[in-house]
Amino acid sequence: MTRHRNENKLRAALEEIWRNTRPEAISRLAALESFLEKLRSGRADDECLDAARTAAHRLAGVLGMFGLEEGSSCAAKIEGLLWQESVSDAVLLEDLVHQLRHLLEGKPASMKTQEKRDL
Amino acid sequence: MPRTLLVIDDDRDIRLVAKTSLELVGGFRVIVADSGHRGLAFANQARPDAILLDLMMPDLDGRATLDKLKQMPETASIPVILLTAKVQANRLELMGQGAAGVLVKPFDPIQLPNQVCEILGWRTSENDEEQSDKAPE
Repeated sequence: MTRHRNENKLRAALEEIWRNTRPEAISRLAALESFLEKLRSGRADDECLDAARTAAHRLAGVLGMFGLEEGSSCAAKIEGLLWQESVSDAVLLEDLVHQLRHLLEGKPASMKTQEKRDL
Repeated sequence: MPRTLLVIDDDRDIRLVAKTSLELVGGFRVIVADSGHRGLAFANQARPDAILLDLMMPDLDGRATLDKLKQMPETASIPVILLTAKVQANRLELMGQGAAGVLVKPFDPIQLPNQVCEILGWRTSENDEEQSDKAPE
């Protein structure tokens, strides 16, 4: 019983943490979009590539903790592409960044599940 | 007296979620450090029962921190669990460096305390509860 109660407390705490951290996740996504923009216009340099790699790595490590497993997986694929010798598949990269935007604008799955349970 | 865990990770969200999960669900006492250097200092001062250590950090990364922990007599015997992203996970290599185990990020905060206990061979709080449920007749 205690464990179950504490798990519910943890879920509530995670929702609170996600509310505070979501703006940062969105700004990390913006770093990816900015890199993509520079890549399209041939202005991508090492600095913005590093910023994009860091952003993708952070998103990959964090999103799944808040029920956005798909977001983590998407960010991990982006990170993988960004570590290739040259970012060869810009179309795939663009598609993944779009997907990530879509996922971040939605609500994490675990929180949706919780809402259903509460109905 | 709850066991003490030290979480070393440069990502604030991961520190916060791990601490909340391990305290609330696992019943541990948790201290956190945001860099390898701070982690070494805290490990030396607090002598935690185990350490969760992020692999990829600026300055002193997880591997270098693990090496230093294993070199210092005061911290050499503290079990270290490495936290690593899927793309970096090479369990065998990491275990060869002296890690007690590897946890892949992103972790499930509900499952984290159990996973830590499983790696370290500790009884989980769930087990403790089961025991206490059966207690004295």
